[in-house]
Amino acid sequence: MNIVVCVKYVPDATADRQFESDNTVDRVGVDGLLSELDEYAVEQALQLREKREGEDIEITALCVGPEKAVDAIRKALQMGADKGVHVVDDAIAGSDSVATSLVLAKAREKIGAEKKVDLVMTGMASTDASMSVIPAMLAERLELPQVTFASVVESQGEVFRVRRDGDTATEIVEGRLPMVLSVTDQTGEARYPSFKGIMAAKKKPLETWALSDIGVEADQVGLSASWTAVEGTEARPPRTQGEIVTDEDGSGATALVDFLASKKFI
Amino acid sequence: MRFEPTSEQRDFVSSLDRLLAGSDTVAANRAWSDGDTGPGATLWQRLAEQGVNALVVAEESGGMGASDVELVLAHELLGRYAVPGPWAEVAYLSHALADAEALAALAEGELATVAVAPHTPYAVDGAAAAAVYVAEGDRLHRAAVSGGVESVDRSRRLATVAVGEALRTGDLERAFDTAVLATAAHLLGAGERVLADTVDYVKQRRQFGREIGSYQAIKHQLADVRIALDFARPLVHGAALAAPADRARDVSAAKAAAADAAYLASRVGLQCHGAIGYTQEFDLSLWLTRIRALVSAWGTPAFHRRRVLAAVLPAASR
Repeated sequence: MNIVVCVKYVPDATADRQFESDNTVDRVGVDGLLSELDEYAVEQALQLREKREGEDIEITALCVGPEKAVDAIRKALQMGADKGVHVVDDAIAGSDSVATSLVLAKAREKIGAEKKVDLVMTGMASTDASMSVIPAMLAERLELPQVTFASVVESQGEVFRVRRDGDTATEIVEGRLPMVLSVTDQTGEARYPSFKGIMAAKKKPLETWALSDIGVEADQVGLSASWTAVEGTEARPPRTQGEIVTDEDGSGATALVDFLASKKFI
Repeated sequence: MRFEPTSEQRDFVSSLDRLLAGSDTVAANRAWSDGDTGPGATLWQRLAEQGVNALVVAEESGGMGASDVELVLAHELLGRYAVPGPWAEVAYLSHALADAEALAALAEGELATVAVAPHTPYAVDGAAAAAVYVAEGDRLHRAAVSGGVESVDRSRRLATVAVGEALRTGDLERAFDTAVLATAAHLLGAGERVLADTVDYVKQRRQFGREIGSYQAIKHQLADVRIALDFARPLVHGAALAAPADRARDVSAAKAAAADAAYLASRVGLQCHGAIGYTQEFDLSLWLTRIRALVSAWGTPAFHRRRVLAAVLPAASR
């Protein structure tokens, strides 16, 4: 089985978020890492391989991003993925999810041209843009069924059965390979790269492709070709001190109720 | 010569740091101190899977074949997070054991400990260990736990041992220096943690209408700790790169400096915390007692200073 896991390089969520002059996220000047939500996808791919011992399962980590984004691939390789593909091209900067999904789909096609890809895996969203739409767009472009937001993944042969935990219902969804599968952070803690994994990753194959390698024109991607653009950004206002209700004459409860009602909590 | 950690070493540290940060090591340490080795043993096994236990065991024996640099980086984190267990002892055994089977078990994460008189006469965590050894003369022996001794650090559960069958023995001098280096790194990490926690505390604790950290008397003390730790670190990292001929001298210098710095951190940390710092319930106590214990473990400061002196002034030792 051939699995492609899409991994995104995102700014470290614990650091300050910076934007470029065109309102795109600054991905070069800040510390970045493999999106935590994508770690779950890598983990599930690795667990799949461990569960299906004896099968020849190859895991490729695919990343679209600036040069530094190779760190995200390296992390996936350290966790245990077999090889990496990094699509890097200045023209891609500023791409929205529609454009990014095109690059991912074309890269996946090129990977598939060498060896059939059975499963494309992603996290449930990125930790920076939190759009959650890439799996669906990717499935559409690749004309594959999509099974998304899996919190439990089971498989037998070509059939995958997953649990989707929604707000109002839990669904059990079945899909057949080939397909696109996105997994949530409920699938289980992602492993930490071990010393062995880190040393082994140094020797794993890592390919770097430009847009021309995957047959995408520069004018199909980037900020100018994107369907959506960010018009402006604003820093979150500093936290203000909350309102303190002091109960001096027995009116405290009423004040509390009034407050909750004014915020539509009750 | 390269003095910066490689990107692999940095990745290893960050991976280990994240694992330990998410593992509630304080709870594991407290449970371990109370005799419940469950959480600590689980953590031990997880760290073994990460390769921490077998870093300096040769690859052909099932180890990682890493250098003392990785050992130092890992042990600094073990100290920072007060991870319970006989870590320096395992570092010792990595070189002291020559028996293939025993080494393989060690590399796989067996909880093993050793007593090395006169510097470490008791086997740390002997009762919890699956394998207990004792070094006597120039040989390593299996050992049986014969009793217990209390340590100032409740998470170090010391055991007296009875010597058993002699084993094929590796390089005991190298083993000792490795344990000393691991302890120095552990002290450095523990000192850093005490400093970090104390700096946090003095920024919160208010007295006479302002944070106590805004007083120069506090700032100066903490600055002294920062300087001591910053001057100890190059010695510890440098000793990891020492040529074999200088190793004894360099690890002794590292241990003496790291012990001084960590001990200063613990004294200043205790003073800045005030009365709460004395309580066993407050987490600071975990590091204060461990630092006190490790200052004398694997050779007292006086022993290590004598070794440095003997190396730089050969005549002085006569």
